Amino acid sequence: MARYRYPKIPESEITPEPLYRARRRFFRQGVGLAVAAAAPGLLLRPAAAWQGALDEAPGSGLSTDEPLTSLDDITSYNNFYELGTRKRDPSDWAHQLQTDPWTLSIEGEVNKPGEFDLSDVIRPDELEQRIYRLRCVEAWSMVIPWVGFELRKLLERHEPTDRAKYVVFESIHDPDNLRGQRRGIIDWPYREGLRMDEAMHPLTLLAVGLYGKPMPNQNGAPIRLVVPWKYGFKSIKSIVRIRLQEERPVSAWEAMSPEEYGFYANVNPHVDHPRWSQARERRIGEPGRRETLMFNGYEEEVAHLYEGMDLEKHF
Amino acid sequence: MDHQKTAIHGFRVLVLVACATPALWLVWAWFNAGLGANPAEAVVHFTGRFGLALLLATIALGPAFRLSGWVGFMVARRQLGLWAFFWLVAHALAWMGLDQYWDWPWIWQDLWGLEYIRYGLAGLVLLVPLALTSFRAAQQALGRSRWQWLHRLVYLSAALGVVHFWILTRADYRDVVIYGAVLAALAAFRLGCAVVDRR
Repeated sequence: MARYRYPKIPESEITPEPLYRARRRFFRQGVGLAVAAAAPGLLLRPAAAWQGALDEAPGSGLSTDEPLTSLDDITSYNNFYELGTRKRDPSDWAHQLQTDPWTLSIEGEVNKPGEFDLSDVIRPDELEQRIYRLRCVEAWSMVIPWVGFELRKLLERHEPTDRAKYVVFESIHDPDNLRGQRRGIIDWPYREGLRMDEAMHPLTLLAVGLYGKPMPNQNGAPIRLVVPWKYGFKSIKSIVRIRLQEERPVSAWEAMSPEEYGFYANVNPHVDHPRWSQARERRIGEPGRRETLMFNGYEEEVAHLYEGMDLEKHF
Repeated sequence: MDHQKTAIHGFRVLVLVACATPALWLVWAWFNAGLGANPAEAVVHFTGRFGLALLLATIALGPAFRLSGWVGFMVARRQLGLWAFFWLVAHALAWMGLDQYWDWPWIWQDLWGLEYIRYGLAGLVLLVPLALTSFRAAQQALGRSRWQWLHRLVYLSAALGVVHFWILTRADYRDVVIYGAVLAALAAFRLGCAVVDRR
């Protein structure tokens, strides 16, 4: 959202946006080169094998064939409050997120817990391209070509115990670098959770790439969740911790405002957000509005998970 | 004397430029992909925020005159108020046209179904009689005190605008708190003056 000046002078009048971005990219790369030149062998990390596999990841039968949202729109219109609350903040401040090295902790009710380097978690042969619809609780939507692997495969490798009923995810907490976390808008770190059957569903993805390239920082690099039948805020970004447990967790938005952001957060045109309608959505890049589909169009695949539940109560 | 006239004239031109150029910028940006991934939302947000800011600025001209004694602030008040009205009407039209795509059944349903739209609409409707009676003949026909009473509705209208903005805000209340605080300060100043004047 635009901040007020009087009269308002758009940033773009001061420095054209492409130039501004190119300049930042140039500085970033410059710093990277300088560091790499100064300490070869120590800091010069070759691209991990999984990164090379991103653009060759096979397509999936679970993909939609709807027209893709442009990469520019996907990477410049983001909710990622760790990097700021305005839509442009995440792309403007993406460099504050340090994604390498990255460790992922897998803990709780599993037989094989531990802390793992990202390249040990990602198996190149498990990567797939999944084109999913994404529906934000703010009533906009996109069609995004993720590259990732099923969460189920990772969980199975770590052998959940019988007491594992829920999966809790936690995002990076680094207020020294992430400007959004210096303000208490949310009770940091960001937390989300799924019921075990939701987590084991074949649609539930851990995404590490977008449009065949490594995940852009503003979209939740290096590894994020994608749960396409739920509102976007369930698809937690920049995950550092996955914990399996018996008790139902409370997600970050739910803790803030339980009457507005339920634990399930299934896309549902019949249950409005208390303050605005969820019946329709704006597909980014498209004029007008379209009607929102039950479970974001994944009803056939996931409706059985919620059989017998009152979705007005468990929203 | 001439110097005074020039200053007032200059201030009126400044108001005109400040209120009109954002419209030119919006039109330019719309056709040059300058409004980001969701241009309809960008236009609706900009017109709403700018309109509310101009409404607060209009209210602020009274205290500015009272504190400085410079008559230019009062001369520009009608002009600024009408610009605020213009931008808020543009906001409503942008919502109906760009956001709702002139889908009347849906517009109608949202008008009555959504709390924030009811408050926003009420705030805008309240400004209509103010805009209609903004010219001198109407002021004379109504009589000074009735006209003044009517135009105090601007506080109520701005308050409804802030409530409308508040309801829509998600998590980060920084911006709407600024609008609310400015309005509260202006209202407090007005009340303070009323108390002082009565003594």
